[in-house]
Amino acid sequence: MSNKIPVKYIDLPLQYSHLKLDLLKRIETIFESGQFILGSECIKLEDQFAKYCNSEYAVGVGNGTDALFLVMKALGIGINDEVITAPNSFIATAGAIANTGAIPVFVDVRDDYNINPDLIEEAVTKHTKAIIPVHLTGRPADMNAIIQIAKDHGLFIIEDAAQAIGAEYFGKKVGSFGIAGCFSLHPLKNLNAGGDAGIITTSDDELYHTLIKLRNHGLRNRDECDFWGYNSRLDSLQAAIIRLKLEYLEEWTETIRKIAHRYHEKLKDVVDAPVDKKYEKSVYHLFMVQCKQRDKLQKYLLSQGIESKIHYPIPIHLQKPAKKLGYKKGDFPVAESQAQKILSLPIYPELNISQIETVIKNIKYFYSHSDKK
Amino acid sequence: MKVSYSYLLEQFSDCDAILEDIKKLVKTGDFTLGKPLEEFEHLFAQYIGRDYSIGVGTGTDALRLSLIALGIGYGDEVITAVNTFYSTAAAITTVGAKPVFVDVGDDYVMNTDLIESTISQKTKAIMPVHLNGCPVDMQKVMTIAQTYNLQIVEDTCQAIGAEINGKKAGCFGSTGCFSLHPLKNINVWGDGGLILTDSKKIRDKLIILRNNGLINRDECEVYAYNCRLDTLQAIVGIHVIKDVNKITQNRVENGKIYDEALAQIKGVTIPPRKKNVKNVHHNYVITVERRDELLRYLIRNGIDAKIHYPIPLHLQKASEFLGYKEGDFPVAEYQAKHILSLPVHQHLTDEQKYYVIDKIREFYT
Repeated sequence: MSNKIPVKYIDLPLQYSHLKLDLLKRIETIFESGQFILGSECIKLEDQFAKYCNSEYAVGVGNGTDALFLVMKALGIGINDEVITAPNSFIATAGAIANTGAIPVFVDVRDDYNINPDLIEEAVTKHTKAIIPVHLTGRPADMNAIIQIAKDHGLFIIEDAAQAIGAEYFGKKVGSFGIAGCFSLHPLKNLNAGGDAGIITTSDDELYHTLIKLRNHGLRNRDECDFWGYNSRLDSLQAAIIRLKLEYLEEWTETIRKIAHRYHEKLKDVVDAPVDKKYEKSVYHLFMVQCKQRDKLQKYLLSQGIESKIHYPIPIHLQKPAKKLGYKKGDFPVAESQAQKILSLPIYPELNISQIETVIKNIKYFYSHSDKK
Repeated sequence: MKVSYSYLLEQFSDCDAILEDIKKLVKTGDFTLGKPLEEFEHLFAQYIGRDYSIGVGTGTDALRLSLIALGIGYGDEVITAVNTFYSTAAAITTVGAKPVFVDVGDDYVMNTDLIESTISQKTKAIMPVHLNGCPVDMQKVMTIAQTYNLQIVEDTCQAIGAEINGKKAGCFGSTGCFSLHPLKNINVWGDGGLILTDSKKIRDKLIILRNNGLINRDECEVYAYNCRLDTLQAIVGIHVIKDVNKITQNRVENGKIYDEALAQIKGVTIPPRKKNVKNVHHNYVITVERRDELLRYLIRNGIDAKIHYPIPLHLQKASEFLGYKEGDFPVAEYQAKHILSLPVHQHLTDEQKYYVIDKIREFYT
């Protein structure tokens, strides 16, 4: 096709160009306060974030991986314990589990890329302490079923909401279902900082008070240390950036959802494209389709100036450290089959209409062209 | 007059050049790892004089990841000083090892004569802490480490630029660990840390460990951590490290001025200053009589004096499980009740320094 319109996978410079002046003002307030770590920007963000997620508390931490890790540590999860999660997440979910000393136990996923609740129960053993559902691509996992299983077996639910800020399930925001919700504010997330950052939501008093110390060396105050903890705090500067962007989040989410609906409408005949179920509101951190001739399509799109990505080509259970745990090919057929077919299309609020149409046209062109072969 | 402990406002009163470079970073949209980080790592390695430098999330993580990279964990023991900041002991315990404390000398750093008696079959490493900017006797530590086949991980968080016989602290151990916390001598605008080493093997491990165990975007070698130095902070670091000699020199000179004047005051004891050692005075610490009264007096007079730290690690609640008790480390315990840290940063004016000295003299007469 001619008349190439380049479509980057993500365009952060464009996002920041809209925020520039406001952002510099916010950064100046950090200098005036002289507080570069935690501080009032972080406290304000925690307050706003908790409200946004319908939780009592929020705790700013160094990154999304640490959010998961610190929650598990605070809940006493460690050696000899097992934690159930999905095999198709970012590696950090399993990494956080393994770093506590616990063993990650994987359960296959459904068409929506989220953990299949029907398969959870058979993975529960007497060592199981928690389930970490991952709201992958920004779509909520099937929480009602998961909550029931957790209740039946006395397990914690820790939500990996790293990709799902603002997503809803039966009108309730993710991060408010489990004992804790773990969010990443990494530069490539829907709500993103200018570096690594993460935040935890919880409505559990005890967990909150433990986390506040655990992220800051286990300190009760400047001079007294209750237990040996970690240094995983949210920088004030990143908190200020996030606070500014939080004001735009709803607007951005709506724009992204409109793009997703447009993609779905126009592409559903050629690829398997995601669409909201009645009871869910997905925030489409990724617009992940399943398609035939995936690698060819990706190459073709790139030749037309359109970037796309694969999240992720190798499921976690087939990565080297999981193989050591005894997992092998064939263990999770759905996740494995998806890994061969999935492709994430560009989706972010700054995409313009002609870029969106370019993506659609080129995918359609590819399939009409390849069908004739 | 006000003499504050922090110097951030003065240090960054004109930060337009830094903000310009940050704006350039924003235009690339590349906020994680990448070129500015590599540049800063290189500048830092060059300054300290080691082959490799790996940016990480915090100074605490620098210690933690060093231990993990060296294979230290459950069942192992690591020897360190009892009067350090929490994170030294926390780094040891959070990898699963047990911290074994050693008392300190008059110079507030590890008494190396006491190390050997704490070595057991489980000891895997010594973690000397160059506290306050004062280097530990590394010659001695290295001899012991060689004799007993132990690793050395240097906690250099407070001692950027400190030297022993002209060799920089952080160059002696398997790794040297640095903090870039806003209140360190070389600082960034949030948490940050660095690990220095000459071993390519350790460097290669750390590069993977800090980035979720990934060897490329899609392949994971080992379950690991997310512990990266923000690229934005690396840009701040690139600017600040240009001033390292000036910052260090100012602090050393401030220390000398204090030393000479305060040595004359009865009630104040200046720690011994070894000739072969360059103390970079991250904290300027003295031992004083009627400490708490003096502290209150100075604060009342606008002088932001502090205590680093009032409770030694073995007496913290977090140490209960280790079984230590009061009396186990008499020197550190005595110091905890008598030490005082004076503002010593590079932006102090002469007026401020002499004001501090005058107020201390006034208190004791």
